[in-house]
Amino acid sequence: MKIALINGSPKVKKSNSAIMLGILEPLIRTGHEITTYHLNKKPLTPEQYRELCRMDVLVIAFPLYVDGIPSHLFRMLVALEEYMKAEREGDIYVYALINNGFYEGRQNHIALEIIQNWCSRCGLHFGQGLGQGAGEMMGFLEKVPVGRGPLKNLGHAMQGLAGNIHSRSVDESMLFSPNFPRFAWKFTATHSFWNATAKKNGLKKKDILRRL
Amino acid sequence: MKMIIHDLDQQEYAAWAEAPQEDVTVISDNGTIRHCTGCFGCWVRTPGVCVLKDGYQNIGELFSKCDELMIISKCVYGSYSPFILNVLNRSISYVLPYFSTQSGETHHRKRYDHQFALSVHFYGEGLTEAEMETARKLVAANSVNLYSTGNTVYFHNSLQAAKEVLA
Repeated sequence: MKIALINGSPKVKKSNSAIMLGILEPLIRTGHEITTYHLNKKPLTPEQYRELCRMDVLVIAFPLYVDGIPSHLFRMLVALEEYMKAEREGDIYVYALINNGFYEGRQNHIALEIIQNWCSRCGLHFGQGLGQGAGEMMGFLEKVPVGRGPLKNLGHAMQGLAGNIHSRSVDESMLFSPNFPRFAWKFTATHSFWNATAKKNGLKKKDILRRL
Repeated sequence: MKMIIHDLDQQEYAAWAEAPQEDVTVISDNGTIRHCTGCFGCWVRTPGVCVLKDGYQNIGELFSKCDELMIISKCVYGSYSPFILNVLNRSISYVLPYFSTQSGETHHRKRYDHQFALSVHFYGEGLTEAEMETARKLVAANSVNLYSTGNTVYFHNSLQAAKEVLA
């Protein structure tokens, strides 16, 4: 089976979408031909669009942006619809991996619907979506085994998703938060991420709060 | 100040809209907009302003000065069209990186003590019920995250129909 892993993060450096695809890839590697596509530096070429039309499975990973899909990924999906209508010959199943910056994974539900609507327009089968909350935590948990601790929900969901991709099955989407208290996540995000990052840039909290 | 963000061709919009008014700010696609790179610079490097200097770096500040935000967009899969999405992606400096919890959900805290009314005019032929329902949910969610005073969503069968209503 030919599987495309599409990293829809705009980040040039390591992204949470790359981490999620990195967790999935070993679970679906055996017996399949996997190609990874990045959208962070330049748009796909016409030949890459045509390759996507010849895939059996598309896995699209991206961060939630303003309750929806990042604009550069969305432009790609709009262009891909035209290629799909003109060049697709076989059935293609689509799976989505979404991470959002808010704690609650359920806030990914609208982006999932947009992907489902896109599949309908393109004539593709929507297989399943996973929505991880508190996505910015992912980069700090690389040494935590997937399926354990804060990544317990993600690990279970990834196992299910991998099985569904293997059999090209349709299943219920899963939207979940990390196995980590919300108050602790909020405290850590505020002090160890936002304030600490601003401090590295020579800014104080009052600078972050400034009004123009 | 009223703000209009639209995805129409600039000349087409100019021919249709009334003469430019002082208290109306219009954001349209001049072909230079760059996409958000996820750097968080508008929160932790140059707070309130995007680091990409392409003419669209002040969207958050403009939001803080408008009383009414009107979006005119083609409805694509239940979402805004790519340009409108691009503008909204570049607007996150309107809020703070810090979080608050409302009705059991986290959202970004306000940067400005300010609110505007949000109205969205979607146009497009053959929109499905699913797409329209998704679009309503999207605008409602944006309304919560932008702290708008409310939101109204309109669907028009074509761009021409939208123009007739808005003229």
